[in-house]
Amino acid sequence: MSWRVLRLEGVGKDFTRADGGVAEVLRDVTLTVERGSFFTLLGPSGCGKSTLLNIVAGFEGATTGGASLDDKPVAGPGTDRTVIFQDVSNALFPWMNARENVEFGPKMARLGAGERKERADTYLRLVGLDADAGKFPFELSGGMKQRIQIARALANDPDILLMDEPFAALDAITKKHLQVEFRKIWSETGKTIFYITHDIFEALLLSTHLAVMTAGPKAGIKEVFQLDLAEPRSPSNPDFAAMYSRVETLIDEEVQRMRAR
Amino acid sequence: MNAGKLARLSVSILVFTGVWWTSSGTFFEEAIVPSPVSVAGKLGEMIWNTELFAHLGASLRRIVLGYALGCVIGIVVGVATGAIRLARDLIEPPLEFCRNIPPVALIPLVVSIFGIGEIGKYFIISYASGIAVLFNTAAGVASTPQIRVRAALCLGAHKRDIFVRVVLPSAWPHVLTGLRLALGFSFMGVVAAEMLAADQGIGFLIMQSTNIIAPAEMFVGFLMLGSFGLITDQLFRMTIHRLMRRYMIPMA
Ligand SMILES: Nc1ncnc2c1ncn2[C@@H]1O[C@H](COP(=O)(O)OP(=O)(O)OP(=O)(O)O)[C@@H](O)[C@H]1O
Ligand SMILES: [Mg+2]
Repeated sequence: MSWRVLRLEGVGKDFTRADGGVAEVLRDVTLTVERGSFFTLLGPSGCGKSTLLNIVAGFEGATTGGASLDDKPVAGPGTDRTVIFQDVSNALFPWMNARENVEFGPKMARLGAGERKERADTYLRLVGLDADAGKFPFELSGGMKQRIQIARALANDPDILLMDEPFAALDAITKKHLQVEFRKIWSETGKTIFYITHDIFEALLLSTHLAVMTAGPKAGIKEVFQLDLAEPRSPSNPDFAAMYSRVETLIDEEVQRMRAR
Repeated sequence: MNAGKLARLSVSILVFTGVWWTSSGTFFEEAIVPSPVSVAGKLGEMIWNTELFAHLGASLRRIVLGYALGCVIGIVVGVATGAIRLARDLIEPPLEFCRNIPPVALIPLVVSIFGIGEIGKYFIISYASGIAVLFNTAAGVASTPQIRVRAALCLGAHKRDIFVRVVLPSAWPHVLTGLRLALGFSFMGVVAAEMLAADQGIGFLIMQSTNIIAPAEMFVGFLMLGSFGLITDQLFRMTIHRLMRRYMIPMA
């Protein structure tokens, strides 16, 4: 597959609420995500970030507009886009050990046992869990489970990883390790990342591009940044700090606006 | 089992037997609650003349066949109800209604239809066990976490793969709970059916003992029900533990 950009064009999304009313969640969201970039979405809670990600994943249809890879519209879930969920305990298959989880995608692709094993070995090693291949998810810590989920996604060789607050449930230290490691994995594998977080610091540490959303209902894109921050990125760098407060101000504005309603 | 636990178990059994023993002939008449000694004597006698095995064999055969049939039907219909909306909407209302009718209440009707032969007993036991398996299976199938299905979709699973490799394994812990409950219900069902209409079986033994004033036989019946229920439940748990361990993990 040789697409160059993931496009969201005029995406709007309404939900029918349980009481019969209509929740107008997204309005006219237009974004361009270039292949190979690390694109992060930040925004106030409940504005529709997960909804947008679900549309890109093909789990939900947009009410208006839609997502496309170059000119090919997203019509449903596909192996070119793999989601990494925050709720890793439910996302993994609890009756499969780490290796079997990682081999699931290759198995669905009807690859032979030899190649499956090879892929599992490669990606378990990449996430540093080759020694734990035989363990079941319940025997692994939250951080380890999240590594397995990442390995499982990569073993299927998707073009894009769609990540919905993947590290938000982890403790601060594990989170920091995984952020650093995941950035390395991203630069080594060259995957495109579409990433959601609440954490401005995390966004600035990881991303090449950053979009801030407005508060819902009828949420849209407030501003998009290309992050050319000095490497290695660190909160003590002046450009990092300046960007941090700029983004924080934007989000605070939106939270204020949401409160005022 | 560690020493402390074993000690507590022995004390518990001793106290239970002691209460039974002392109340027999004092609090209760011997002719109503016989002492453990006379029950043990009766047990020996019934083993010696093989009468016990005839009753036990009849009950166990009914349980095995009725339970197996109930489980198969319960799983098949339960999977359909859990997975297919149309099936759920069609099947669930009458079943929700039926689950309130205990198997015992059906016995008179079953006897009128099938007579006192074996078929009626299989029906009662299958009904008792099938309902338990069915509702648990349906709940298990319907409760597969949405993101697990979505994860599988991203990894290239097709509809069939999702069902076989994600939905069914996710449902297993619930199914097994149903199977285990159903085993208990089968014991209850068989006894009820045999008490009302049979000429053999543990339920018959218990019922008949009041007619022929043989209280020790009744207590031999209790002993058999208690111990066989316990043994089958333990066997069930051991089998599950060996064969299904990985599917039980989510419940652990
Ligand atoms: N299936 C649905 N039916 C009705 N409303 C929904 C549905 N899914 C989401 N919503 C509503 O859409 C809005 C956006 O939800 P979404 O989960 O996308 O927000 P989010 O930005 O990811 O929030 P958070 O940061 O808390 O994860 C919320 O107001 C939510 O209540
Ligand atoms: Mg969300």
